[in-house]
Amino acid sequence: MRRSNLACLAGVAAFALAAASSAVAAGEPFAHGDPVAGKIAYQACMGCHAIDDNDVGPKHRGVVGRAAASVPGYAYSTALKASGIVWTPAMIDRWLQGPQKLVPGAKMFFSIPNPKQRADIIAYLATQK
Amino acid sequence: MDHDPTRRRALQCLSWAGTGALFTMSGGVASSVMVETALAATPAPQAVAPFSFVQISDTHIGFKKPANPDVVGTLRETIRKIKALPTTPDFIIHTGDITQLATPEQFDTAQQILSELKTPIFFTPGEHDIVDGANAQPYKARFAPSAKGDGWYSFDHRGVHFVALVNVLQFVDAGAGKLGPDQLAWLKADLEPLSASTPIVLMSHFPLWPLYSQWGWETSDAAEALALVRRFGSVTALNGHIHQIQQHVEGKVVFHAARSTAFPQPAPGVGPGPGPLVVPPEQLRGFIGLTSLEVRAHNAPIPITDTTLA
Repeated sequence: MRRSNLACLAGVAAFALAAASSAVAAGEPFAHGDPVAGKIAYQACMGCHAIDDNDVGPKHRGVVGRAAASVPGYAYSTALKASGIVWTPAMIDRWLQGPQKLVPGAKMFFSIPNPKQRADIIAYLATQK
Repeated sequence: MDHDPTRRRALQCLSWAGTGALFTMSGGVASSVMVETALAATPAPQAVAPFSFVQISDTHIGFKKPANPDVVGTLRETIRKIKALPTTPDFIIHTGDITQLATPEQFDTAQQILSELKTPIFFTPGEHDIVDGANAQPYKARFAPSAKGDGWYSFDHRGVHFVALVNVLQFVDAGAGKLGPDQLAWLKADLEPLSASTPIVLMSHFPLWPLYSQWGWETSDAAEALALVRRFGSVTALNGHIHQIQQHVEGKVVFHAARSTAFPQPAPGVGPGPGPLVVPPEQLRGFIGLTSLEVRAHNAPIPITDTTLA
């Protein structure tokens, strides 16, 4: 519901800001991560990912804001290619809570249950433009 | 040669280390007893002819992140250590993640370097050895061509039954591994004809005990496999994936996770999650290495010795 409201009001900066604030107040801290802590927390991703190289998973530079399954040279699952997802911070937050719940059949299974850790990782990824 | 009492005696003597104490590892607890007690407790030799074998794991050929930019170099150091062991192992087992990305080039490099061992190697795959996370055939064709299904098999060596299991093709939450019903049915049939006094060694990549579920360090249907081995007097379950020594005992089953030859990972629950742990370069060799096992008798835990490259 809130997401669809945001979509409707995307062009209205004041409303969008208000909605973003209420999202944070409603207990979704993904917009308030600490990129310095996130760089450390990113270790949990490095078994399979790197910032600048495709590895077991695709490279992460520029991931925040890009369309899913769009890195050249990486063999994505059919499920993720068909997902139509855009990696907004909110979407990455959902993905990290359980990739198979968001996109059944995706390659990734690892999840990060801690909301603060997810927020920090997202904040760090946002700096890796 | 293997039935030569002189060799057997030499193997026993190697364990005493000149201190008058015999060290064994059981369930993560190192115990020592005086030599006289050990001699009195030594069971009469049975069908198992003493021998040793070595476990290596997680060589990750192709990995080049800061945790170890030279995994080829540390694998070659491991090979030199194995060649310098006082007892030549009958064979090597590799418990997976041979490569980082299962590319033909990485498989080529791994095969070329591992051939320097001049010793038979029995493999089980890690999730990094499966092309696109789903296709085990390129791994199987190179490293286990006569295996069943997606790469599982067994063999007997001097009275011990070795089983290579594949738990890296199906995953559950947090990335834990799974054996799957086909493999479990094969395992049941494989074990059925064996006497309960046959020592069993299980090899797998993911641990067969719930080492740390939050990080996926377990095998979701391992309990079904363990039910099949419960009747045996000696069961040793060797795994990789964890990149550090971890041990556990359940009844007569001894579980042992080996170090990597490439890089360490954090202890369970320490830090944000699993992944390559960067340590000061001069300390790396204290975190990686190999595992030696000496089989001596039926119904006795197999002594396990872990050695770092330091």
